[in-house]
Amino acid sequence: MKVDPVPLAGLAALAAATPLVAVAVLAATGPLDGYLAHIARTRLGDYLLTSAIVSLTAAILSGLIGVTTAWLVARCEFAGRSTLQWALALPLAVPAYVAAYAWLDLSQAAGPVAAMLRDAGFDGVAAALPAIRGPFGAGLIFAVTLYPYIYLLAREAFSGQSADTYDAARTLGHGPVSAFLKAALPMARPAIAAGMALVVMESLADYGAVSHLGAPTLTVGIVRAWAGAGALADAARLAIVLAAIALLLFSLERAQRRRARSSAGSGRRKPPRRIRLAGWAAAGAMAVCLFPLLAGLVLPMARMVWLAFEAELARGLFAAFRHSAILASLSGLFAAALGLGTAYAVRNRSRLARISARVASLGYAAPGAVAAVGVIAVLSFIQTGLDSLWGGRFPVLLTGTVLALLFAYLSRFAAAAIGPCESALERVTPALDGAARTLGEGPLGVLRRVHWPLVSGGAITAGLIVFVEVLKELPATMILRPFNFDTLAVVAHNFAADERLGQAGAPSVLLVLTALVPMIYVARKIVKESAIEELG
Amino acid sequence: MIKRMLCLGVLSAVALSACGQSGEERVVNVYTARHYSSDDFVYANFTEATGIEVNVISAGGDLLIERVRADGDRSPADVIVTVDAARLYRAEQAGLFAPTDFSQLAGTLPANMMDPQGHWIAFAGRARVIAYSTERVDPSELSGYEDLADPRWEGRLCMRSSDNAYNQSLLASIIAHRGEDFAESWATGVANNLARPPSGGDTDQITAIAAGECDAALVNHYYYARLARSENPDDQAVATAVDLFFPGDSEFGTHVNVSGAGIAANAPHPAEAREFIAYMLSDDAQQAFAELTNEFPVTGFDGYDNALVRDYVSIRQDSINLGELGEHTETAQRIFDRSGWP
Repeated sequence: MKVDPVPLAGLAALAAATPLVAVAVLAATGPLDGYLAHIARTRLGDYLLTSAIVSLTAAILSGLIGVTTAWLVARCEFAGRSTLQWALALPLAVPAYVAAYAWLDLSQAAGPVAAMLRDAGFDGVAAALPAIRGPFGAGLIFAVTLYPYIYLLAREAFSGQSADTYDAARTLGHGPVSAFLKAALPMARPAIAAGMALVVMESLADYGAVSHLGAPTLTVGIVRAWAGAGALADAARLAIVLAAIALLLFSLERAQRRRARSSAGSGRRKPPRRIRLAGWAAAGAMAVCLFPLLAGLVLPMARMVWLAFEAELARGLFAAFRHSAILASLSGLFAAALGLGTAYAVRNRSRLARISARVASLGYAAPGAVAAVGVIAVLSFIQTGLDSLWGGRFPVLLTGTVLALLFAYLSRFAAAAIGPCESALERVTPALDGAARTLGEGPLGVLRRVHWPLVSGGAITAGLIVFVEVLKELPATMILRPFNFDTLAVVAHNFAADERLGQAGAPSVLLVLTALVPMIYVARKIVKESAIEELG
Repeated sequence: MIKRMLCLGVLSAVALSACGQSGEERVVNVYTARHYSSDDFVYANFTEATGIEVNVISAGGDLLIERVRADGDRSPADVIVTVDAARLYRAEQAGLFAPTDFSQLAGTLPANMMDPQGHWIAFAGRARVIAYSTERVDPSELSGYEDLADPRWEGRLCMRSSDNAYNQSLLASIIAHRGEDFAESWATGVANNLARPPSGGDTDQITAIAAGECDAALVNHYYYARLARSENPDDQAVATAVDLFFPGDSEFGTHVNVSGAGIAANAPHPAEAREFIAYMLSDDAQQAFAELTNEFPVTGFDGYDNALVRDYVSIRQDSINLGELGEHTETAQRIFDRSGWP
């Protein structure tokens, strides 16, 4: 019996590609009225420079944070490690725009910290306080909210690595840092690269945080072309540029992955032994792990809770919570299935599948608002087809249904699901399949008893990432949802857009808590599984 | 076979669709760019008064326009509401509004607040005015928008990004009154006077003035009014440190933008849509806008409990037809692009 996952990969690609195709059609057929030439003369350079600063700052800082913390919890032993190893994943639950609102509010001259300093008579210090804004501020916000992508994948990689290479490096006279850099890090490179690609992609496509912090990236330019100048076709053309950058990034990541695979060893795997830290080293490790948690989760949320207590409570929060939970769980499940299917199809060396997976990755690259316009165009096209097949008005209008929303989410986040699944599947070497078959397992038995234990972590991570992404997603949710269907993100956005940060506090906090509950569960489950693996 | 499959599809889509439209009850489907929680209160009162249920989708004006356009003659939208005159103009240009005779509703409405062809009608206003530090700025040195480009303001202004629709509409009105060349030198002059690169919303500019980062900013009046009428001592301290200047008698008067509505070209419930828009102009709704969101009612200010906003409303407003601003918005943005106002 042969399980064929290629159709799943095709489905993922179709879902992800069609909105972009619609955008491309828009770009190709729309009128040329000189806006592009105008923008190239005026602001395009700034957009590109800002995009570069934001995404590089985000990539470098999140890489440092993600890799360091992953190494510490995977290979060192210190007080608080077992809690930190799942808690470190949690800032992913905080939408970048919420962190941006909270941090700008906390750090600006009119904020509470500066006010406290002025009250205490330190006017000079208050004036010198750096406000978190502009391109570097935005990069910092993305680093502290998105580093878990890298952390999760790198931790998987580090704790799955055999200790032999690292030990060998140590025996050959390398210190712990050098052995880490020479032996452990290169082997974890595909995972780190996959995580970084997600971080860069997401910070490039973000609109809410960068526009609030005053860091006009290309995405701001795209939305401005469309919303301000009404040049939808030119906005689509700029979006194609962004998608091309994404394609480039993903192919770089691919190349990394291939090189890492060819250099990965095989054979007997010795479970890694953790280095026991004590005294200052242990305190330092704990501080390093606590910093991103404080910056990405605790401080911004504490500010939102504080503000929420000062404001009156919004109504309809429970309904919004229910809607958010339904949408996020459904999309998480679908995305995990699609991600796993695609990853398998790619592993089976199907050419079609490989192309599909790359295409599916593109959905992630378009800014949310542009992707939403693409989805609307596709739905309208399908609707016309349905209406003519039906011979009249098809009884359901697709826009404004939950199905439309699921389509939009899958198209946007398929890449977030495929990456972790592929990463996990790489641990299943073809030799493992062969061994299990030799020992008398059938194909399904191999899948269940060998693959599933190894890839379930990746699949769950994939579903979780999509769950959280969908909770945070705004433009597609706003424009495709059914009537009277508020989600937590929508309610939080509406208050924030009305500059009632206090009232935005309660829905934001509820959103983060909603994301935290399954995340804590899953993060702990992943950690427990790898602990059992190590014992066995 | 195809038909049966489609039926199955319909069933599952209906089952998955959370929007259960049932029965013969009267409904109106409102696509709105307004996102104020007080609107729920207005809708509830409308339902109580008329028996018409209100279904709402709220999103940015441009997304709403795209959705209505894509849904075409299948669009369930009855009423389209935007919070910016330029978006009303854009929706009209896209053919999304059915021309309607609003003359019965117009009443005391100023003539510039509705489309001459009846595509849309305004129901609440927001003035874009100068917020200034009561400590560092003498109100007598303020004369209007145009003065903010003067070099004596160098390093003293906080402004929101030029992405902001309200900044674009203000510049559009300057183009309409003074021409493109003047508008461009104005935008460049203001950009040169910025104390810091733009970030945050209008309230952030007001609090920045209070914190001493800058001396003046352009903001919508209701953000200041909210702080001034707040019971929170921090808000009150900000409101004391900052005041608003309305360029009433100078230049072209105070720039006022609007929330406005039109009936969708393919509205399934046009009668209900008319009733809804009529209600937005009713005394009840106008009172809610004046008292809950500190907006300008458009039909007068009799008996509403908001002394601050009452004073603001009485100041001379720009009388340009709001539709005309829409014609200049694209030019306004190109000028901003060239001016270096981020």
